[in-house]
Amino acid sequence: MMRRKHMLNELDEDIRDHIAQETQDNIDRGMSPEEARYAAVRKFGNVTHIKEETRDVWSLIWLEQLLEDIRFGLRLLRKNPGFTATAILTLALGIGANAAVFSVVYAVLLRPLPYKDPSGLIVLHETTPRVGDVSVSFQNFIDWRAASHTFAQMTAVQSVDFNLAGVTQPENISGDAVSPNFLSMIGVRPILGRDFDASEEKAGTAPVLLLSYSLWQSHLGGDPNAVGKTITLDGRSFTIVGVLPPNYRSLDTTDVMLPIGVWATNNSDAIKERGDRGDMVVIGRLAPGVAFGQARAEMEGIAARLAKEYPESNDQFSVKLQPIRQAFVGDMKTAILVLFGAVLFVLLIACANVANLFLVRGASRTKEIALRIAFGASRGRIIRQMLTESLILACFGGVVGVVLALGGIRGMAQLIPADMLSGATVNLNSAVLLFVAGVVALAAFIFGLAPALHSTKPDVQSELKEGGRTSSGGVAQNRLRGALAVAEISLALILLIGAGLMMKSLYRLLEVDPGFRPDRVLTMEMDLRAQQYSKDPAVLNFWQQLIDRVSALPGVQSAAVGTAIPLTDNHGRSDVTIEGMALPTPGNYPHPDVHIVSPGYITTLGIPLLRGRTFTDQDNETAPLAGMINAMVARRFFPNEDPIGKRFMFGHPSGGDPLKWYTIVGVVSDTRLYGLANPARLEVYLPFRQDPRNHMALVVKSGADPASLTSAVREAVQSIDKDQPVFAISTMEQLVSNSVATRRMTLVLLGLFSGLALVLGAVGIYGVISYSVAQRTHEIGIRMALGAPRGDVFRLVVGEGLKLAGVGIAIGIAAALGLARLMSSLLYGISATDFETFIGVAVLLALVALLACYVPARRAMRVDPTVALRYE
Amino acid sequence: MSTKEERERIELLQGTLDLLILRTLLLGPAHGHAIAKAIEFKSDDVLQVEQGSLYPALHRLIKRRWISVEEGTSENNRRAKFYKLTPQGRRQLTLETRKWDKLAGAIARILRPARQEDES
Repeated sequence: MMRRKHMLNELDEDIRDHIAQETQDNIDRGMSPEEARYAAVRKFGNVTHIKEETRDVWSLIWLEQLLEDIRFGLRLLRKNPGFTATAILTLALGIGANAAVFSVVYAVLLRPLPYKDPSGLIVLHETTPRVGDVSVSFQNFIDWRAASHTFAQMTAVQSVDFNLAGVTQPENISGDAVSPNFLSMIGVRPILGRDFDASEEKAGTAPVLLLSYSLWQSHLGGDPNAVGKTITLDGRSFTIVGVLPPNYRSLDTTDVMLPIGVWATNNSDAIKERGDRGDMVVIGRLAPGVAFGQARAEMEGIAARLAKEYPESNDQFSVKLQPIRQAFVGDMKTAILVLFGAVLFVLLIACANVANLFLVRGASRTKEIALRIAFGASRGRIIRQMLTESLILACFGGVVGVVLALGGIRGMAQLIPADMLSGATVNLNSAVLLFVAGVVALAAFIFGLAPALHSTKPDVQSELKEGGRTSSGGVAQNRLRGALAVAEISLALILLIGAGLMMKSLYRLLEVDPGFRPDRVLTMEMDLRAQQYSKDPAVLNFWQQLIDRVSALPGVQSAAVGTAIPLTDNHGRSDVTIEGMALPTPGNYPHPDVHIVSPGYITTLGIPLLRGRTFTDQDNETAPLAGMINAMVARRFFPNEDPIGKRFMFGHPSGGDPLKWYTIVGVVSDTRLYGLANPARLEVYLPFRQDPRNHMALVVKSGADPASLTSAVREAVQSIDKDQPVFAISTMEQLVSNSVATRRMTLVLLGLFSGLALVLGAVGIYGVISYSVAQRTHEIGIRMALGAPRGDVFRLVVGEGLKLAGVGIAIGIAAALGLARLMSSLLYGISATDFETFIGVAVLLALVALLACYVPARRAMRVDPTVALRYE
Repeated sequence: MSTKEERERIELLQGTLDLLILRTLLLGPAHGHAIAKAIEFKSDDVLQVEQGSLYPALHRLIKRRWISVEEGTSENNRRAKFYKLTPQGRRQLTLETRKWDKLAGAIARILRPARQEDES
């Protein structure tokens, strides 16, 4: 440090001495003093340059230069507030949108799951071609675990729910019953109390449970002595053995966790029946060194063997393996990646616009730069200085962008339904800020480099000689600016096509006839789990009273109960045998969705009755068994005959149980139970009095806003049983809306981004054309002086703009044809290369480009030849 | 003058110039101007060093501690900086000279047959 300062301080003096000596030598050789000095200076070389290079030797120099460049850059930016504000705002929009979308990308796709070595955790389902992925039967889990060598551990996770006398009102809570080694396998330790013990796997285990952190806080006030206390669920007492950590995440809500043995105690059927696929997934950890593919091959082999061994329950059933991350992400992945691609495009467009601004300004700075090069600044040095300037601008853009992103993230969090995030928190964290820093650097480089390289081209030296107002190098510059505009147009076009395809898909989707009328219907669920509901009459009594009391409420048109409300997760399916049909192999029986409903159900949901009758109060415990089928069952199994009066039964006739035939009394419309985009399936309906269920949903058709009935309905429930919780309260319209939430979110954001892209693209093309008009004022003046009609001038300018737009549109369409395919899983009812959308968007963009050229073209038309010519 | 060409020449000379300075200082301490003169003189003016480029090179050698600086008086009784070879510099010079000889020898061996071909 000291040496450096010392050496550099005396450098000037050293150089002066050196030149003086050389001058003296020259004089001694007989030159005139003036000549001698000139020769000495010449021989020495470029003093500025040499000083700079000497300083460079002492390396810290780059820091000084950087500070100098920053000061210089800030001064320049202050001097051009208009330019600065435009550039910063443009960048802020691009960077802000990126930060907001990245926060979702990070939360859902990147943030490490809070487990030990999550990459080795695999989620297993059973799968059958008739339905898709289904739950795992307990018996199959036991056999899988015994047979598999590729898994080091395998655990069962069974969803459970309980009624809890809550703090203010009774609630329904959910949780998991898990194999005792589950928590240790995923590497989670209770923050209080103990993990489960291996002995707690078998039926007959004492009722113990772990509380979630939030339930511990809300119901026990975070009591540090909670372990050993009891909590009453479904009227039974459970001993609390511990508390889960606050960051515990699972595939669905976990309020409590209990050992599978406790669940097994009360579900002996589910344990015994291999064909009973309740609500269980299996999560396993791969043995060290085992690849996913190996595990899949082994498991598929085991499943095939079980299918042969137990055809009655397992024919046509295989197994599906999924890395745990994929199970968490679900169908969000494509949408998120499409949106991420879209914001990157927006950023590129923003960069292109700012690069354009820089080029325009660079044009007015060529003289300054030429001068600096003449004074000995190297090209690299000037490029570095200009890049510093871009970086300052990008940093400001980044800061404003982060502020915008704060709002954006809040908006996005509202657009994405919470259950789709499965516990991921979307926020502005350090990972997002790091990403923003990267984007800022990248952006600065993208929009800074081309203009910097361009305006320091060695031939700018000619600028000095030419006095260059008419600007030489203009051709190359215009080409670069034109290319930027073309790039903007094509990127905007791709985004618009994406948005257009999404819009059309969503429109098509919402046009789908769901088979029911969602308007003015309120729904909520109840699960009768208290001791008094262990006998059927009490259950039927409750539902009947509920229907009667709610129907009597003012504003209610009708009320009913059912087990499988469309667009929810509550669906039950069962094999059926139709009387007289040729018996298929066990895995190929018709496998309809089963609805257990009260008489008013189809009227309340507006499901059209196509034939026969709906259920009445007479379809009760003592009446002959009755059933309704949907149109698809009728079409498939009674193609040429009237199904009314025909009979079906559940299960296979070989089952050994006495045959219980249901007589078909009516045929109703198909409903889209699993989402608007998913085709209708086979459905049968049974009267609730002949097959009482504890867990049902109430549906209420109201005369006005259904949500306004909520508290009245709640009160009706409490008037029958004050301890009975209601949950999953929603209107049918909300359910419809939630079912298209991913697509709607994609559409809204894609629409927003493509709108932004359109505006930026239009501004870009406007900038290029108006600059070109300004540059060509002289030429236009000459044309007009020579008698060119104003219309020709107009056409000249607009033609130039449309040429750029045309090239941009052509490139954009070509790229979109390839890219749109990536989002085809998000589309519905149209192909990714939908002709109408492509043409419509191209025309829209051409019109916008025309508009953007219109203003500068008008200006060109009004050029006064005399003024334009006098200029020179 | 084109900045580009100029830079290329400096870079081309850099290592060589360092070596020449070290060699010059082997004869005894000298000040900047004298070093430049000595290099020009000894090479019969074949090596036309742009005198200024001496200074970045000198600073580089100081930084590497191959030469040191001391105050002194020049032949015409003016105060001047004298650059002096350090022991490290001496070692470096031996090393570099050996390397240079090897390189020059190798290049000569490659070029000689080529020249004979030209002549035939």
